[in-house]
Amino acid sequence: MKPAEASLPSDTEVLVKRSFDAPAKLVWRAYMEADLLRRWCVGPPGWSMPVCEMDMRVGGKYRWRWRSDENDQEFGFTGEVLEVVPHAKLVHTQIFDPGNLGVSMGSEPSIITVAFEDANGITSVTTTIKFASKADRDAAFATGMTDGMEMSYQSLDEVLAVMKNAEARA
Amino acid sequence: MRRDIFQAISDPTRRAIIALIALQAMTPNALAEHFDTTRQAVSKHLRVLTECEVITQEPRGREIYYRLEIDKMKEIDNWLEQYRKIWESRYEQLDALLAELKQQEKQERKI
Repeated sequence: MKPAEASLPSDTEVLVKRSFDAPAKLVWRAYMEADLLRRWCVGPPGWSMPVCEMDMRVGGKYRWRWRSDENDQEFGFTGEVLEVVPHAKLVHTQIFDPGNLGVSMGSEPSIITVAFEDANGITSVTTTIKFASKADRDAAFATGMTDGMEMSYQSLDEVLAVMKNAEARA
Repeated sequence: MRRDIFQAISDPTRRAIIALIALQAMTPNALAEHFDTTRQAVSKHLRVLTECEVITQEPRGREIYYRLEIDKMKEIDNWLEQYRKIWESRYEQLDALLAELKQQEKQERKI
């Protein structure tokens, strides 16, 4: 499958798109069932996911936490489920839980919308992360400890282009 | 205030400044000509970038030129690479998991 595409539809949003070679109902399960989610929603290398609690009904809560095997650092996300359209759409809030990392992000929840679209057994998954404000988005960007890390790619592309230019001249 | 390199690139004007001085060292006046904002605003961005150690001052005669610290920029690249890898590996693991689920379904149908 092609690598994820990321874009910035507005000042407060980040959009990430990726296709998977499976029907929507299977991709859906991978997002909705804790035992399946923890198998793919991995943290940085060397981190495990000791907490993955999910009650994925409307109004239900979830809690994810990653832990470094090396130095006891922890961080995670919590949130509440807002909308569930089986095999098609999942909307939930997300609050960054900085654990003991010593970084901060906006305290207002962001809203994550995941849309699943099945075309002949290939499912495209579009994830939209809407931050409470541009400041929150930029704060999330600055830490990178978020789904918002995707947005750093766009900046990175600019930065890399700059570096290549500079190196060509050096 | 504690600064880190990510503050340097978290603002579009600062990224534009970085892009400009990557090509050649520039004075604050020359830089300001590229932006609609006030000179003060550009100076403020230059101060943040300097505090982030992404750019350094270089006096030439009576003028001060700003130039890019390439090694500092590479830090960002290395750091972001780590996170790009997390997402890549997440989605790759999801690919693998889905292949497994598909296989399971096939077998269940046979039974």
